[in-house]
Amino acid sequence: MSSNGNNILIYKDRLEGIYKDLNKKYSHEFNLSVSNGYTVTSRSAEVENIEYHEDMALNITVYNDFKKGNASTNNLSSENIIKTIEKAENISQNTQADNCQGLPESNFTEKQWDNLGIYYPKDLEVENVIEMTKDCEAEAFKADKRISNSEGSTFSFSKNSHMILNTNGAYGAYNSTDYSLSCIALAEENKLMERDYWYSSSRDFKKLEEGSSIGKKAAERVLSRLGARTLKTQVCPVLFSPEMSASIISNFLSAINGSAIYKKSSFLLDKINEKIFPDFVNICEEPLLVNGPATRPYDSEGVLTENKNIIDNGILKTYLLDTYSSRKLKMDCTGNGVLTNITMNSSEPLVSDIISTLKNGIYITDMMGSGANTLTGDYSRGAFGYLVENGEIQYPVTEITVASNLSQMFQNIVALGDDIDLRNRIRTGSLLIDNITIGGTN
Amino acid sequence: MNYIQNLILDNHDLTNEKLENILSAACPKNIDFADLYFQYTNSEGWQLEDGIVKSGSSNIDSGVGIRSVAGDKSGFAYSNNFNYENLISAAKTSKCIVKSGQSREIQLGNSKNIRKLYNSVSPLDFKTDDIKVKFLKDIDKYVRDKDDRVEQVIVSLAGTYDSILILNTDGIKAFDDRPLVRFSVMVILKVGDRRERGSSGGGGRYSYDEIIDTKFAYEFADEAIRQAAVNLQAEDGKAGSMTVVLGPGWPGVLLHEAIGHGLEGDFNRKKTSAFSDLIGKQVASSQCTIVDDGTISKRRGSLSVDDEGCETKCNTLIENGILKGYMQDKINAKLMNVSPTGNGRRESYACLPMPRMTNTFMLPGEFNPSEIIESVKDGIYAVNFSGGQVDITNGQFVFTASEAYLIENGKVTKPIKGMTLIGNGPEVLKKVSMVGNDLKLDDGVGTCGKDGQSVPVGVGQPTLKIDEITVGGTQV
Repeated sequence: MSSNGNNILIYKDRLEGIYKDLNKKYSHEFNLSVSNGYTVTSRSAEVENIEYHEDMALNITVYNDFKKGNASTNNLSSENIIKTIEKAENISQNTQADNCQGLPESNFTEKQWDNLGIYYPKDLEVENVIEMTKDCEAEAFKADKRISNSEGSTFSFSKNSHMILNTNGAYGAYNSTDYSLSCIALAEENKLMERDYWYSSSRDFKKLEEGSSIGKKAAERVLSRLGARTLKTQVCPVLFSPEMSASIISNFLSAINGSAIYKKSSFLLDKINEKIFPDFVNICEEPLLVNGPATRPYDSEGVLTENKNIIDNGILKTYLLDTYSSRKLKMDCTGNGVLTNITMNSSEPLVSDIISTLKNGIYITDMMGSGANTLTGDYSRGAFGYLVENGEIQYPVTEITVASNLSQMFQNIVALGDDIDLRNRIRTGSLLIDNITIGGTN
Repeated sequence: MNYIQNLILDNHDLTNEKLENILSAACPKNIDFADLYFQYTNSEGWQLEDGIVKSGSSNIDSGVGIRSVAGDKSGFAYSNNFNYENLISAAKTSKCIVKSGQSREIQLGNSKNIRKLYNSVSPLDFKTDDIKVKFLKDIDKYVRDKDDRVEQVIVSLAGTYDSILILNTDGIKAFDDRPLVRFSVMVILKVGDRRERGSSGGGGRYSYDEIIDTKFAYEFADEAIRQAAVNLQAEDGKAGSMTVVLGPGWPGVLLHEAIGHGLEGDFNRKKTSAFSDLIGKQVASSQCTIVDDGTISKRRGSLSVDDEGCETKCNTLIENGILKGYMQDKINAKLMNVSPTGNGRRESYACLPMPRMTNTFMLPGEFNPSEIIESVKDGIYAVNFSGGQVDITNGQFVFTASEAYLIENGKVTKPIKGMTLIGNGPEVLKKVSMVGNDLKLDDGVGTCGKDGQSVPVGVGQPTLKIDEITVGGTQV
């Protein structure tokens, strides 16, 4: 399983060759992504799938007097690139002018980026990878005789290169790697089955959690689900696990995205400098974290990314703006053509034993469905979790709903746990939120 | 027309003999089966927001996926480079699933004459770009003229033409050309500080003229305005277990989540589904008969052949409440010793095929929809949904209503806010006590995700009543 360089720089020469003959009437942006790697799954102690990936995508945006066209292709021959440019130019002749459209004027990348701490290529033998997945799954089966089945253990690796060039002089390129190892275990008791999983992911193979530990956690998690009961409908405090908390924070981030704001389709419209969260809550963006899952030096338009406080002592300080939405809203661009690493923090000490802080309520570890409405903030999702009494987990609970409104949920955050999930691009511990409606039996 | 022959095979001098050699390289003696999936996809999208058609996009993606199967093991590689030597090397990568083996001869048959459920015409060749742009502007103007509470209108039009060629070691050579268009409109209405959304849309395997040259799009625009207006009046709903009547058509997402995924062959072969080993058992009330039908002409979820070259069928999943069969692709059918059902689908050449749904719906029953509503003293009438999700192992599923009303003493009264419903797949259909006579299929906008792969699907159902399901409102 070789991991030769992606050689993205050969395309730089090719694109620059094409540059000279570009029609100067237009301005052009080229975004190129190249990725290759593989995924190996073992199930029931045997290898099940080996999949090799190799992807290329060239995305070309052109502006023609404030009119925009976009075309993309996965065939990077010079002849086809020229055809794709023409296609984008043709589209830009039929779209309508909008004077907020155009390439970024300043603050863009002008170099190749190295040493970001996200590129750790490693040659792995396929046999070793297969063994690693088998060991991971075996550890889950070893944990308990109620582990009855599995969906296997999967290892995946990809090596990615990205490059951007535009006719205003932006140039950026960087490489990254992604490794992950996961296990899905099934457990059965009284003819009822449950599934759960655990995973580790990292930019650096060396920092992946051991397969045996992943298999064991997958087993522990699924065993703890057995014997789930329903609950009576009630309003109570809810502790959201770090993974579920990250999904709630991602709803917040969608609602302050520039495109939701200028389309007036957000419940956080016109809320800059207003208090959205309790005083102790801080949320910041850190684009250049070493080993960060979403680390990037520049955004999708080549604008440099920057550290920023999004929530400062509970107050909303900024929207997340790309070039277009910043012009549309007459604000400064924040380099958020993409979102990078987000950290949720507290000005008070993070709580180490947050289940005892919850005392009596529900600890939610899984939610399903698309019931977060970022236009109104209305929130209603299916959930799985545990009943907590006197600071102790009593039993698993299932077939319940969790409902509130995101504005109220943010204001009702009571405490933030220290169990921060470093795998997620949104780094947060458990969130304890008061006054959530749990739907269950009557 | 099919682009594979001229743009790929002829251009790269891939003769039948060379294709046979590639298959042979992917299928040495200890491999059971190999296939090649050539794909050339041309797609485009146009979007209007804030009153102008700000951008359009076009994408061309082509490649070939090579799969080698031995028992329940699959090796897989793909390439965007159609050079013969490169494909031979990808085929050798694919067979890595087994350690070694002697090569064998493969003979391809003549290309299979398949039954056509849609025309081999690219929607992209049908209307000029300026006509599409004008169409979107006309819809925007129509919506803004019709209601002065309009805050935002987003209208989009998208078209795809997918040419594929499937070749496999059983000798199958099947071409298919798949047009797909989709129109959607989203409207935000504002009154005071309150904003609410309504969305609608439709599409299928045909050309833009069926959208642009008809009243179709205006009806969807009316529908989006109507929904947003209803939601402006909606009040907080109750939480807890209650009787729910689902409207016809798109609420069939219930069936897709509650039973559809759980009846996919891979999960049942591995016995990881809550429906494993339930064939012949009662899993729904005797009023419920549910099919997965990939053969309906021009529908979004239909395919002339599936992505493994098998003709699609109308498969009965549940008949009068009894579980009849699963949906299968080739591998899982073989391992379970049943016939493939034409449900082997993949998102693209870059993904492995697996059992997937096509158009999944419940056949009509005997009740008038009005009788069903009148039978409910206290409950909810849910008519539009935004999607759902399922855990196939424990059977828990959710689906999220985007338009719902209270039913009080047999009458539909106040609108209530959207909410999620949660139930258990093998249990919920046993609680279906009335099935309406008004079967309706959805309008053609559904997309299903499984293992990271998205495919277009359809759903449908008549009005039906579920005696008890948990509803996620905020009021207790």
